[in-house]
Amino acid sequence: MAVTLIVLAVATLVIVAAALLPLLSSGGPAGGAGGEDERRRVQEDLDRSLAAIREIEHDHAAGNLSDEDFEDLDRTERARAVELIKRRDALTEENDR
Amino acid sequence: MSLAGRAALLLALAVAVFAIVMALGSMRPGRRGWMESAERSVYGVFGFTSVAIATLWAGLLTDNFELRNVAEYTSSTLGDEFKLSALWGSQAGSLLLWAWMFTGFAALAVFTNRRKNRELMPVVIAVLMVIAIFFTGLLSFATSPFETLAVVPEEGRGLNPLLQNPYMVIHPPLLYLGYVGLAIPFAFAIAALVTRRLDTAWITATRRWMIVSWLFLGVGILLGARWAYEELGWGGYWAWDPVENAAFMPWLVATAFLHSVMVQERRGMLKVWNMVLIILTFTLALFGTFLTRSGIVASVHAFGESTLGPYFAAFIGLILVGSIGLLILRLPDLRSQHSLESYVSREAVFLYNNLLLLGLAFATFWGTVFPILSEAARGSRITVGQGYYDQVAIPIGIALLILTGVGPLIAWRKASLDQLRRRFEIPVAAAAAGAGVLWIFTDAWSNWAAGAVFTAAIFVATTILGEFWRGMKVRHALGNVSWPGALTSMIGRNRRRYGGYIVHLGVVVLFVGLAGSSTFSSQGDFALRTGESGTVAGYTFVAEATERGRTEHVGTVASRIGVFDEDGDRVTTMVPAVNFYFADEQRSTEVAIDSRPTRDLYIVLAGLSEDGVARISVFVNPLVMWLWISGIIMVIGGIVAAWPGLPALRRETAAAAERGEKRARA
Repeated sequence: MAVTLIVLAVATLVIVAAALLPLLSSGGPAGGAGGEDERRRVQEDLDRSLAAIREIEHDHAAGNLSDEDFEDLDRTERARAVELIKRRDALTEENDR
Repeated sequence: MSLAGRAALLLALAVAVFAIVMALGSMRPGRRGWMESAERSVYGVFGFTSVAIATLWAGLLTDNFELRNVAEYTSSTLGDEFKLSALWGSQAGSLLLWAWMFTGFAALAVFTNRRKNRELMPVVIAVLMVIAIFFTGLLSFATSPFETLAVVPEEGRGLNPLLQNPYMVIHPPLLYLGYVGLAIPFAFAIAALVTRRLDTAWITATRRWMIVSWLFLGVGILLGARWAYEELGWGGYWAWDPVENAAFMPWLVATAFLHSVMVQERRGMLKVWNMVLIILTFTLALFGTFLTRSGIVASVHAFGESTLGPYFAAFIGLILVGSIGLLILRLPDLRSQHSLESYVSREAVFLYNNLLLLGLAFATFWGTVFPILSEAARGSRITVGQGYYDQVAIPIGIALLILTGVGPLIAWRKASLDQLRRRFEIPVAAAAAGAGVLWIFTDAWSNWAAGAVFTAAIFVATTILGEFWRGMKVRHALGNVSWPGALTSMIGRNRRRYGGYIVHLGVVVLFVGLAGSSTFSSQGDFALRTGESGTVAGYTFVAEATERGRTEHVGTVASRIGVFDEDGDRVTTMVPAVNFYFADEQRSTEVAIDSRPTRDLYIVLAGLSEDGVARISVFVNPLVMWLWISGIIMVIGGIVAAWPGLPALRRETAAAAERGEKRARA
């Protein structure tokens, strides 16, 4: 009983101190680094787009897509990837400044 | 001990409230420290619930009968593994397990996102902590696992014999892991709605959570079925019991989400639909928890009468109204980027799959709540029987199985007739040939549904194997690698896709097991003296001896049954038994099962009279083993799909992405 209460008391002290400590430090920038998050999101979109291009190529090579469908899908996905690369690069530049 | 447990839960509740204030406060500029404080508070909530559950476990292991939960669910003679699992044998203990697992998942979600999704995380933390407050509040003020008894008994009542089974040690925690895991995608979805960050970031952040939760829920359901099969002694494993349904419904909707979310990622469509699915999945998970604890349904899986129903109903209502209201407010931001170009496309197949899954979930929901509604409206409880579920589930199940094979063969956006013909030729021919063989050599087609399932299973298995074969051929040709190397590199490069195919293979095996065991099961009831026999499905069951035993705590009667095939050769010897536990005056049947790939022999001893007559029920259940094997296949597939990948593989993928990027620039 006593041991459990001591463990609980120590845990309480540690948790309360750990939770309150960050409040004593300086404010820092606004919650969340918005620019970096945005760049990360675009990068993740880009990764998905590139994966989609690879999957389309794979499906075409495996015979799951006709030449006509492949060209159409591949062109659209590549255009999207280029757009995302441009956005990512612009955001990277903006964040570096 | 009681004081420490109660204090830990109250502290968890208080810190959860603090975490919400810090998290939401951190959304204002210049308050970075607030967010860090909120994150640490979430870890703190987990710390306190850990202290609470450790306290109760310590009480159970040390036979602290001062605690009601220890006195009513254990005894000093109970094995340690069952003393530990007795924690979730009680209403309050199981809620504590729920809360502990949930706060653990919340802490893990916060930790893994500590450097990303910064705009979403304050709301994610707030939503998670609201849920934590609900559960720690219930445990503190409505049903405490640390309630003490005024008079401390010398011995506990013992654990219900039905719960003294290894599957009961693992089945409830797995189900709870599934339930609580679904809260994480829900919290991210709500955060996306609140912050208007409605791109695919919240989906990316929660994909693995969803797969893992789906997996836990699925395995939990299967282990529950296995427990029912071994322990309840009626020869079956699934009875559309309300509590079974309660776990099945969120699993169905989560399955729909796992498919439709791919349409959003790939085509920017179904955004509202996916939000609805995620809200529905979590609400149904809560509904399942509610149903088991409200006392409004009668089930072998449910806890007894309780006063928790109104609290759960209010919380579910709050979650549903709040999230749907928020979704309606954000509808203008959730417009699809594309529209459906063809009804013969992969996205269309996913849509059909979603409609069928939701249809089955709704039918299950209706069957589950109809007795409650009928009682409320007419004063008499009308129970929905197996026939209702069979009428709905069998056609939907077959259609879903066929779509499992069709989906991977159809391209995104649209599929040309020529492509369809080329892709479907071999699977359809294989299915037709298989159907013919089944027709000629077996009685599979004596039941249309079973015949259709077996034929569809051949079709789907052929499509999956075809996908693996074509993918390997491409990798083998492009990468100049061996065939096994081609297989592993192909799976490594697209784990989600091939993990999904492995899960589909598990689904095929599951359907084969379901169709075989539910359609072609044979049963016989016999009263046999030693030396007498009965015959079921070509097997002869001979009563060879009776056995009686007694220890300090349990009395046992058993019948030794020799099983012989049509040629008179001994197949096996089985010993079904009945145990009688003296402490709580409970009786439990110990079924005897002889499991082989083609069939299970299943014997239940109903009773053994003083003059040596054994009353037994014998079942010959074909293909049951494949149900459990399907679970293993699905787990493997799920792990492949959710696996983050080895560092080397990640580097390779990153390099490939870079190469792709350069090509895309070109």
